[in-house]
Amino acid sequence: MLSPPVAKINPPGVPIERGKIHEFACSIYDDNPLYHDLEAAKAAGLPSVVAPPTYTSVQAFFFDPKDAGAILESGLDLDLRFVLHGGQEFYFERPIFAGDVLTAHQGEMRTYEKEGKRGGLMKFAEMESYYTDENDEVVLRVKNILIQTAGVVKK
Amino acid sequence: MSASAFDNIKEGDEFELVHKGFTRTDFVRYAGGGGDFNPIHHDESFAKMSGNETVFGMGMLTAGMLSRVPAKWFGAENVKSFGIRFKSRLWPGDNVTFKGVVNKVYEENGVKHVDMDLSAINQKEELLIQGFATCRPWKS
Repeated sequence: MLSPPVAKINPPGVPIERGKIHEFACSIYDDNPLYHDLEAAKAAGLPSVVAPPTYTSVQAFFFDPKDAGAILESGLDLDLRFVLHGGQEFYFERPIFAGDVLTAHQGEMRTYEKEGKRGGLMKFAEMESYYTDENDEVVLRVKNILIQTAGVVKK
Repeated sequence: MSASAFDNIKEGDEFELVHKGFTRTDFVRYAGGGGDFNPIHHDESFAKMSGNETVFGMGMLTAGMLSRVPAKWFGAENVKSFGIRFKSRLWPGDNVTFKGVVNKVYEENGVKHVDMDLSAINQKEELLIQGFATCRPWKS
């Protein structure tokens, strides 16, 4: 997955919706009642259904594909032909619930290089973002890791 | 599962979910659910043109399915952190074991925390994803 810097792509105030959470949870084969069933969520003392841990990655795609070039303009100096999604980390201050309205913000970005196991210099780019709720409180921090390989990966 | 999963948890405890026979339809369903419409994951001719045998699954599909381990084990609202590194790709037909192993149980500000190592491994014993999660009982 390639996602350009989040602040450039997400409109402020994206609503977290029950229907979309249900659809997303189905697509990862998760039948957890707290994702699907409002009554179960309320019985557990929660305000609404919960968004699965990786749910906000959905929002990384709320952008015009032509904006993918924003990565190149972001000063990371990556060659997109050889960039892979290396990993992602999610740190929650609280669960995300249906009914939340979240705004994404760009955090820090850094790059570093490492010798690859299959030869060649690999370049890593870490892009941080964070999401605030309607009270301007941070609810989630995300770190996205991109890897630029020395060439096309065969495996 | 619920917050009570925290009660007797100890280092080395395991939780496992198996998903057999991933299909192209699974990839397409995640394209809709997760919004990843990169054609390399659903368009056979595009995938082949890009040098792949066939289409392969989105990394975030495997990651999302791995996130079921901490969420089912300790409760969806109790996942404090979840992180993954992609190692190998998911192909149609793959059988994948999603597993969590507790590596640390501790208290922070009087609240029990559980750290775990996570992995998604295919039928050839290849590591698709390596990950971690921390869970704690969440109270509003």
